[in-house]
Amino acid sequence: MDYAFYIAAAAALAATLRAITASHAVHALLYFIVSLLAVAVIFLLLGAHFAAALEVIVYAGAIMVLFIFVVMMLNPGPRSVQRERHWLRPRIWAGPAVLAAVLAAELVYFAATGAGRSAGAGQVEPAEVGLALFGPYLLGVEMASVVLLAGLVGAYHLGWHLGRRPGGRETGEGEA
Amino acid sequence: MTVHDFAAIAPLLILSAAPVAVMLVIAVRRSHAASFALSAGALAAALLCLPLAASCSPRQVTPLLVVDAYTLFFAALILLAGLSVLLLSHDYLRIHEERREEFYVLLLTACLGSVIVAASRHFASFFLGLEALSVSLYVLIAYLRINASCIEAGLKYLILAAFSSAIMLFGMALVYRHSGTLALAGLSPAEGAAEPALLAGAVLIVVGIGFKLAVVPFHMWAPDIYEGAPAPVAGFVAAVSKGSVFAFLLRWLLEPAAAGDGPLGAIFTGIAVLSMFAGNLLALFQDNVKRMLAYSSIAHMGYLLVAFLASGPRRVMACLFYLAAYFVTTLGAFGVITVLSDKERDADALEDYRGLFSRRPWIAGVFTAMLLSLAGIPLTAGFIGKFFMLAAGVASGRWLLAASLIVTSGIGLFYYLRVLAVLYMPAAPAVDVPVRPLGTLALAALVALLVGLGVYPGLLTDWIPAMAIR
Repeated sequence: MDYAFYIAAAAALAATLRAITASHAVHALLYFIVSLLAVAVIFLLLGAHFAAALEVIVYAGAIMVLFIFVVMMLNPGPRSVQRERHWLRPRIWAGPAVLAAVLAAELVYFAATGAGRSAGAGQVEPAEVGLALFGPYLLGVEMASVVLLAGLVGAYHLGWHLGRRPGGRETGEGEA
Repeated sequence: MTVHDFAAIAPLLILSAAPVAVMLVIAVRRSHAASFALSAGALAAALLCLPLAASCSPRQVTPLLVVDAYTLFFAALILLAGLSVLLLSHDYLRIHEERREEFYVLLLTACLGSVIVAASRHFASFFLGLEALSVSLYVLIAYLRINASCIEAGLKYLILAAFSSAIMLFGMALVYRHSGTLALAGLSPAEGAAEPALLAGAVLIVVGIGFKLAVVPFHMWAPDIYEGAPAPVAGFVAAVSKGSVFAFLLRWLLEPAAAGDGPLGAIFTGIAVLSMFAGNLLALFQDNVKRMLAYSSIAHMGYLLVAFLASGPRRVMACLFYLAAYFVTTLGAFGVITVLSDKERDADALEDYRGLFSRRPWIAGVFTAMLLSLAGIPLTAGFIGKFFMLAAGVASGRWLLAASLIVTSGIGLFYYLRVLAVLYMPAAPAVDVPVRPLGTLALAALVALLVGLGVYPGLLTDWIPAMAIR
């Protein structure tokens, strides 16, 4: 069991390192997704299947949305097609693809042999997670919603200005 | 959850409903006055609900929160601080920013986060409360988007707060590995001092908390952020954010043995001595009043750790009284900067205060009182606080800490008096700013509290012994 954890952890570390050091945002995002997938595999090995699924759906999914935003904000046209082609040369996606393949191989191995079943203190079912979140930890869920509210309002406030006045400083005379 | 549970957390419920309500009002109609009134009303209502909560305390509400006298004390402190920051911000925002309403939403979420931190008895709620506080503060610090230094300060705070949260989370994971629970009860790092993983976890959490308290060597961010942030927000960061995290620290390491002895005690002692010396020495030659106050607040956190490391019955009393005095003084000092700031910039240069006494005698008097309290001169709350602290430190034989406290207080006197001297110099021909009625009201209340606590500390000390922390 241990070696499976170490492989996934090494993949997570390598991907995170590249996510931090990559000079281009899109390349960093690719590695970041792999890093999250590796953490999801670790969750899986610990018996937290539900958390693993959430990790993939929420985090990896959110980054997909980020991608869409990036693509949306760039004007479509032959130049941007060229640019995206430039971003996604094999040299760029080979690293993340290899790491993802390692993780996939691990998953397939465990699915085929069932070796991961007996690990840890047993599995945590989605129902248990739900019961805990809406039972004793209900207030925690509400607190998380406050964090999100603050983040949302803050992003709205900071983003509004950037959208409307790209020039910034000298156009900043308001009604005040 | 029962009715009594809901009654016990009624102030928290009001505080969580308020930002949503303000946000919805903004969505319908943008009105500075309405947002301000609603926020002030919510903070006041939460304050008025404290007696209701007190009637149900002490009470454990779900595994996450505990409502006892200690929680309520900090809730009252945080709500009053929030109210005074609100009053100070009103006019400040009116002249600085055209989209002002979101400020109140974020101020309310920040207050809510602080109260949660002070009430938490579980690492999960501590972390969530801290994040609510930090996320609100990122934006509050960067709120004046026209101003590049504001944005820079917000960015710095974002990176450092996220970094310290990560360190703290790792520490919590290590503690969880040892004890199998994230609840604070039944967790004492001292008893597990032989267990390296638990000790490592506790140290990592202390590092994270150290960042939030801006104690040396985790203090580098504080001067830059205080300088860049809007003056009322800087006051909020200095008082409320530090105070609530300290409240958690005291609850976590309640047993004096847990804090004062062993490896953790050595770390805390080092941090305290370094903070007292570095804070005071670095403040000596600051010409920027905000930076000076930042270094001074670093030193004050060091003083507070002296009381924290003491043992005996006076320990909690000294910590709580000093924190109350520190809240009043810090908010007052930043409040003075706020009411003197004009549209172009905050009044943070020492030159802005030259001859203030002949131009604005009342404001100069308020600033004098605040500076004297920071220096620990008698008749102010700061003096009584320092007295309790020294008494607690000496009573438990912490001579190194007590000596550092005395020496560094002497050093500190120099830079406080330096500002005081400037206040009373002959006036320079300066453009004066109009009187800000709400801010002045807040300042008047703060001065009254400052002198009240300084002359008659029984106002507070009669209460505190009843606050057994569970």
